[in-house]
Amino acid sequence: MTKSNPPNHKKVKDKDFELVQAINSGRADKFQDLVERYEQKLYNFSLRTCRDTRDAEDLVQETFLNVFRYLKDFRYETKFKNWLYRIAASTCIKKRRKSKFAPERELSLEEFIDKEEADHSNQVPEWAKLPLDQLLGEELANTINQAILSLPDKYRLVIVLRDLEGFSTAETAQILNLSPPNVKVRLHRARLFLRDKLKGYFKNDEGWP
Amino acid sequence: MTKDGHDHKHCLELFEKLSEYLDNELDEITCQEIEQHIKDCVPCFVCMQTLKRTVDLCKQAANKPVPAEVSQKLREIIENMPKTTSP
Repeated sequence: MTKSNPPNHKKVKDKDFELVQAINSGRADKFQDLVERYEQKLYNFSLRTCRDTRDAEDLVQETFLNVFRYLKDFRYETKFKNWLYRIAASTCIKKRRKSKFAPERELSLEEFIDKEEADHSNQVPEWAKLPLDQLLGEELANTINQAILSLPDKYRLVIVLRDLEGFSTAETAQILNLSPPNVKVRLHRARLFLRDKLKGYFKNDEGWP
Repeated sequence: MTKDGHDHKHCLELFEKLSEYLDNELDEITCQEIEQHIKDCVPCFVCMQTLKRTVDLCKQAANKPVPAEVSQKLREIIENMPKTTSP
């Protein structure tokens, strides 16, 4: 959304470069191709960041509308995908501000350390040893999604971008306008939170130690 | 985290860095320190393995398909937008 290029700015030529250039050169009909390319990713990002399915659908629509509106201002300073997620994340944060005024819960490292100490685990549980494909299934995927949705907002966006969307720490920091150390702190707490949920899931599920 | 002769404070210091370790974001010396520590400290090793598995499971979590009606609605909205992007 930046208006001007810095001097000697080098354009990032990613897989979307030509398509975005075509749209910006007047082929607005090609915008549907861009939607097709990112619709599913954005829909899943939205499902994982909004607690309500209807809100998730709205988020996808609003994001694409904003992308269409501001695409001319895209300066290829970053990958198009990163710019798209920046718009999606900021649309998501704005929607939340409108709908919620309660302060966010902070996750402290101490609460996880306390649980760890109480646990005194002296052997790696089966769920952390078995091949991944023996664990993955719809039920586990739903458990992970539910656990992500139960995270406080500020941690949820970070773990979704880092571990589910595959952005690096630096990219996540740029998308969310946070410092890289802040991303790391939030990510670690979010992962510990999820790990506790998974431990509970496997403990309660018969057949798992 | 540990009961058997380990420096508890050291465990806690490393506990803070486990995600950075898994993401290869630590310097070599700190990585070696963690690797050495988890060789001797079973609870820290278990902690590392379960955290690693949590990250792996998240990374493998499957995406849901977009429901046809949601996709259709999105296409209609885009169809009806003025066919020029921002001025």
